[in-house]
Amino acid sequence: MDLDIGIVIEYGPLILKGFRLTLIIVFFAILLGIPLGILMAVGRMSSKPYFRGPAVAVLEIFRNTPFMIQVFLLYYVLPFYGLRMPAEVVGVLALALYSSVYYAEIMRAGIAAVPRGQVESARAIGMSHVQALRNVVFPQMWPIVLPPVANQTMSLVKESSILATITVSEMTMSALIVQGITFRPFEAFIMITILYWVLNESIAFSVRRLEKRLQRRHSRQATTKAQDAAMAESLEAVRRMTR
Amino acid sequence: MKFDFSYTIDAFPWLLDGALITIQVAFLSFGLSLILATVLTVVRSLEIKPINAVIAVYISFIRSTPVLIQIFLAYYVLPVVGIDLQAFTAGILAVTLNSAAFTTEILRGGLAAVPRGQFEAAHSMGLKPSTIWLKVVLPQAYIASIPPLVNEFTLVVKTTPLLAMITVVELMRRAQQIFSANYHPVEVLIGAFTIYFFICFVVSRASVVLEHRFAVRRA
Repeated sequence: MDLDIGIVIEYGPLILKGFRLTLIIVFFAILLGIPLGILMAVGRMSSKPYFRGPAVAVLEIFRNTPFMIQVFLLYYVLPFYGLRMPAEVVGVLALALYSSVYYAEIMRAGIAAVPRGQVESARAIGMSHVQALRNVVFPQMWPIVLPPVANQTMSLVKESSILATITVSEMTMSALIVQGITFRPFEAFIMITILYWVLNESIAFSVRRLEKRLQRRHSRQATTKAQDAAMAESLEAVRRMTR
Repeated sequence: MKFDFSYTIDAFPWLLDGALITIQVAFLSFGLSLILATVLTVVRSLEIKPINAVIAVYISFIRSTPVLIQIFLAYYVLPVVGIDLQAFTAGILAVTLNSAAFTTEILRGGLAAVPRGQFEAAHSMGLKPSTIWLKVVLPQAYIASIPPLVNEFTLVVKTTPLLAMITVVELMRRAQQIFSANYHPVEVLIGAFTIYFFICFVVSRASVVLEHRFAVRRA
């Protein structure tokens, strides 16, 4: 088995084009997924059953089904109701929906980590519930949820490969195309394997650095040991749910 | 077009047939992955530097590349090296190697839950290293990691539809075959979707039962 460098040079640009589309898709999926996740987290934590019920149902359904079948279903359901969209857009929507479930769990842990008393104080000085969330909870939540959000983003990068099954020409699809033209699976898949690996390891690397920086800052805040432990546990549970 | 439920019902027996393969693949891969992960955990605890470095690279590789690519590597690239596997075997191999990396990390957590003193106590009682692992440490490590292990199993189930890409006829592939014949993808996919949900939901609830069953032994 030998690496044919000619293929790497000739089809490298095609793979890189796929790489760019992967990045674009992931970017928009995050942009849509996080707000959706926050919305679901708030719904999930609501005391009103008509908010909580649907939120719980959606979370359970998405969490207990494979991403691939969600993608397929969305890809075929939308035209069924007369909505024709390019595969790339469907892909972004599917990724955003899928990841929002996990973002929701992360946000829930983040919101729960902000001491309850603060929300009550905010309500007591006349803020509405939404105002309390926006002005008091969210600013404190971001540094806490950043590491798990980045983790989830890594898994988003990996899941985006599945969009090749609905003809989105992202990185995996471009490797399949190169394989189809050259009949050389080795070169095609080695190229994208390395690109995915480098991309995700660099995300992981920056997360670890960020985590250290945030930990130092976090330790200066006045949180109790019990609070920290509870939060670490819930974030660990979220981390376990995805890969 | 109108949603016609009769297509779902017609497809259902065929889908269940595919679901059997899905369950078979999931159990085989997860069982093998559990064995491999246990071996890796024991080997890693010996702290032989070069071997641990290899394991670290393996885990990093698995964790930062998509499963789909790993499946393609097993099916398309291994034959280049002279290992020509059937789709089913290649699929099981890929899913096993993928899951084992995550299971190893889970077992590391479980191992941390076993107090160090127990190693020392077992050692001073004159137990052989193999006995210490099999009778003292591993059972406790497994019990401590039941919830993440069950969760890992549902993740394996959710990985199996990707094997449809390399022509393994499991639930997803079966669904694709049916709707490419009757042109009713939505109805057929809803059927498959429901089966997947049912499997994963039941398995994730099993975690509670298992924990309860083994909770006594921990005391």
